[in-house]
Amino acid sequence: MEFLGNTWNAFAAIFTVTPGWMTFGGWVAAGLTICLFSFLYKDNPFFKVAEHLYLGAGMGWLFQVYLFQTWKPKVFLPLMEGQYSVLIPALLGLSLVTQFFPRISWVSRYGFTFIMGYGSGLVIPLTISTDFLKQIGGTIAPFMVSEINSGNIISLLNGTFVAFGFICVLFYFFFSVEHKGAVKKASNIGIYFLMLYFGAAFGNTVMGRFSLLYGRFDDLYKYSAPEYFYATHVVLGLLVAYFILDKLVLSRRGGGQEAH
Amino acid sequence: MKNALEKFLKIDRRLIFLALTVLLFAPIVRPLGLPNKNLGKDVVNTYNYIEALPERSFVMLSLDYDPATRPELHPQAVALVKHALRRNLRVGIFTLNAGATGMIEDIAARIPKDIAPDKVYGRDYVIMPFQPNPVAVMTQLGINLYEIYDKDRNGNPTRDMEVMKGVKSVKDMGLGICITGTAMLDYYVAYVADKYKFPMAGGVTAVSQPGYGPYLQTGQLKGLIGGMKGAADYETLINDLEKGTSGIDALSLAHVLVIVLILTSNIIMLVLKYL
Repeated sequence: MEFLGNTWNAFAAIFTVTPGWMTFGGWVAAGLTICLFSFLYKDNPFFKVAEHLYLGAGMGWLFQVYLFQTWKPKVFLPLMEGQYSVLIPALLGLSLVTQFFPRISWVSRYGFTFIMGYGSGLVIPLTISTDFLKQIGGTIAPFMVSEINSGNIISLLNGTFVAFGFICVLFYFFFSVEHKGAVKKASNIGIYFLMLYFGAAFGNTVMGRFSLLYGRFDDLYKYSAPEYFYATHVVLGLLVAYFILDKLVLSRRGGGQEAH
Repeated sequence: MKNALEKFLKIDRRLIFLALTVLLFAPIVRPLGLPNKNLGKDVVNTYNYIEALPERSFVMLSLDYDPATRPELHPQAVALVKHALRRNLRVGIFTLNAGATGMIEDIAARIPKDIAPDKVYGRDYVIMPFQPNPVAVMTQLGINLYEIYDKDRNGNPTRDMEVMKGVKSVKDMGLGICITGTAMLDYYVAYVADKYKFPMAGGVTAVSQPGYGPYLQTGQLKGLIGGMKGAADYETLINDLEKGTSGIDALSLAHVLVIVLILTSNIIMLVLKYL
């Protein structure tokens, strides 16, 4: 056990964060970012490599977090201290892995049964309260006598607008009555309210995506500094050279085929 | 004329990407310092709620975002930690997202350096380890949080820490804020805020911001910070401009490009159709 511990410590010491590792990290980050962005120009092998690395590294990160921050303190250490009760949830969790072995996959039902029962019991009552009853209450609240007596006209108008939109949208999603006459009109107004929401959501989506892009550019700018040995410039230059070379080779091949 | 307009509508989309790259990159190299004067009401509400908390109140910050949403959400988290610590509140940093641990490391490294150098770990703030199964954790947070968080992320017992004095569950906390790019805030509203009558606020991506309107209207959320704009607003309120604010230049220019392109192409479509 001591030998394993020492070996692990020696291995971990290699990866102690030093300025050299930080520079290397900058090169990896700038390289992978530019390789992934290169897809905007056209598909290429560097994009594919970066894509697979992203998935692999992500899974590796999650695995070590679960191993060292959950399994070790919640299962391994309590077992070492003689708390065998943790075996029950641990075995229920491990039973899910039997899904990979068809012969004993039935064992996973015990784990799933627990998850389903526990999850349903928690989710159903709280969802009804939070997303249903409280929302109805919120729509009615501006029309309470106390609110009207307070003379807040803006709140009352806003509440009326929200309630009107709410009812119209509900009509749009109510399929048990044929949409004609007054129902059709209410349903059509409901579409406009939905479009208002979609417009706001789309505008926010555009802003969100630009923010993410800005974040990557900000990092690329950081890695273009001399302390990172101009990682961004070098990687971008190499990739541009690859595309030029690729175009030249392709055009020559294309020309050759035409000659035949 | 007509041919030229038709040609414009079939412009190579890579040219638009290039224009966007230039517009987003230029303010990073040379900031324009465009003003951010229109502060969001829900961001101001979050700020005011924290301002109104008595000193040494405990604020739970659940940082549940991963690197994919870092540019939008990390500036929000940094601004909130700054505000809470400078207001002399106790801060507990939690996470229910395995991908957030790296970003929390960054905040942990910055607190003694530039966020709040006078604050002491264990006395003024604490960082809890990642825990899986959010719903189970949230349920336990309302009963006895030491059943799950008996040790901090470094393995030190949390019960004896000064920062945790008098805090057994969320009922003993002043405010909870969940910063997330997932549905974690919805869970917090249902399993913590509504269930235990606990005041919650949120920090979310711009994409998911409109969906939280109903929770704000009913008061289930005390405030909401949305996207990089929300982070910039918060930085303006605490008078400490950082990454959120510097992004406003780039966002403004990019939005101008989008508006110009939409207007131009619509005008061309009208011209081609009616003239």
